[in-house]
Amino acid sequence: MVAIDQTQTTRSGGADAVISVSGLGIRFKRNKRARRTFKDLFASRQRRTRPGEFWALRNVSFDIRQGEAIGVVGRNGQGKSTLLKMIAGVLIPDEGSVTVRQGVAPLIEITGGFVDDLTVRDNVYLTAGLHGMTKRQIDAKFDEIVEFAEIPGFLDTPYKHLSSGMKVRIAFSVITQLDEPILIVDEVLAVGDKAFREKCYERIEQMLANGRTMFFVSHSERDLKRFCARGLYLKAGELVMDGPIDDVIDRYNDDYGMNTLPPVEGDAA
Amino acid sequence: MTASTAVRPTERTPFAKYRHSLWLLTKRDLSVRYTTNALGYVWSILDPLLMSLIYFFVFEVIMHRGNKAGEDPYILYLMAGLLPWTWFNSTITDAARVFSKEAKLVRSVSLPRTLWVARIVLSKGIEYVASLAVLAIFALATWTAPTPYAAWFPLGLLLQAILVFGLGLIVAPLTVFYKDLERAIRLILRVLFYASAVLYSPMLWPSHLGPIPIRPLLEANPLTGIMGIYRAAFWPQELDWTHILISAIGSLVVLGIGLLVFRRSVPAVLKEM
Repeated sequence: MVAIDQTQTTRSGGADAVISVSGLGIRFKRNKRARRTFKDLFASRQRRTRPGEFWALRNVSFDIRQGEAIGVVGRNGQGKSTLLKMIAGVLIPDEGSVTVRQGVAPLIEITGGFVDDLTVRDNVYLTAGLHGMTKRQIDAKFDEIVEFAEIPGFLDTPYKHLSSGMKVRIAFSVITQLDEPILIVDEVLAVGDKAFREKCYERIEQMLANGRTMFFVSHSERDLKRFCARGLYLKAGELVMDGPIDDVIDRYNDDYGMNTLPPVEGDAA
Repeated sequence: MTASTAVRPTERTPFAKYRHSLWLLTKRDLSVRYTTNALGYVWSILDPLLMSLIYFFVFEVIMHRGNKAGEDPYILYLMAGLLPWTWFNSTITDAARVFSKEAKLVRSVSLPRTLWVARIVLSKGIEYVASLAVLAIFALATWTAPTPYAAWFPLGLLLQAILVFGLGLIVAPLTVFYKDLERAIRLILRVLFYASAVLYSPMLWPSHLGPIPIRPLLEANPLTGIMGIYRAAFWPQELDWTHILISAIGSLVVLGIGLLVFRRSVPAVLKEM
């Protein structure tokens, strides 16, 4: 479930880089209903942009070393989530490459793998299993997962009967117990009540302290500063800045500060 | 950390990971089916069973079909064809909408993408094998003994699995872009049903239909040889190695095309998710 290494060139970005992104680009159709031909479908990976398409990300390169916590900054539609999805391996780039050298625990659409009609217990085994855990590993972690989610007594309830808060809690609990060295977080923390959110934050901090690598997308300045040391600033699909998180946030605030009107450049993805 | 960290998921071989995920998804499909429907198993055989009875009534009772190719008892003959057809038909129908149905999961978990189709092939295949119990009951009821050719049965399973996997791989990504295709597939399947030797023996195909050499056209259908293998368990004359060779080559070609189409179109499919 790692190594999305789809492409020709894999520039080895330093010996200890766990995530290497080089020359990354992906384009989307501006108009979903644009005419599509069979040729279109198969002639992928051409460098030229066809009319009606735009590059959601282009020429993005960076390396992440083991244990780094990276925050991605940018306004809506500037390619943050797209970048995250390519690192998680659920999107494939049109050019360049993403190389992920260790296992990933993706906190993206965390409830995606859960099946409404199955019980919570079955769902835990299913989702953890799809993310690569064996049955024995899940057995060993099961109590911990359930305890963290604070839903004892609901184990044999069909998943659809849980409240939305419970659904998110159990999903978060499963993914963070995956024991993978890389954690990818996409603003999921905005859900859940305050107490549980704080618990999630503590869990993430604890994981970071254990040497996990984290890739984090958020609009919350506070959260970014709390977890991350390094920031990436995406603007109109380009990586405009890669540096210490405080500097990146300052630059972002300068660009879209309180006193200046947000510029209109860069179409929404 | 506990002993559970002994084998990191990523340290297993790609093949083991594929098998692990395939089995999980297949089990999920089966358990969803059997926990949400009280009559789980019955549903998987009801359709072929009912259709067999209908065709039996129409062709045997009303039309007095006769026993031209020695395919009696006809009810058993129908079951032997309709059960594997159900596997074929339901796999392709499900593959045609797999990306819209599983969008959430495809978006959130990075798995080898052919799994989305492979799991349908496997879970429907398991249902097919389980449904053979009904065939056994009919064989007992009509007092028909199996022949030693029943030993070829696994070859039929293998060829059919390859064929439906290949077709599923073609159909699954294309329906994401061309919604109409889903309807077209249902029509094509219906035509294919009558064009395949499901209701009758391929020995009954005429060689020509007017100036058209219809027989070679029908024989090019990879399902013909597969049906022959299954049927040979009770009707040895149905085993035709030319048909089987055509099936084997056809299935592998379809799989090759399927893998190619799937690989080339999957980046675009993911963008639509």
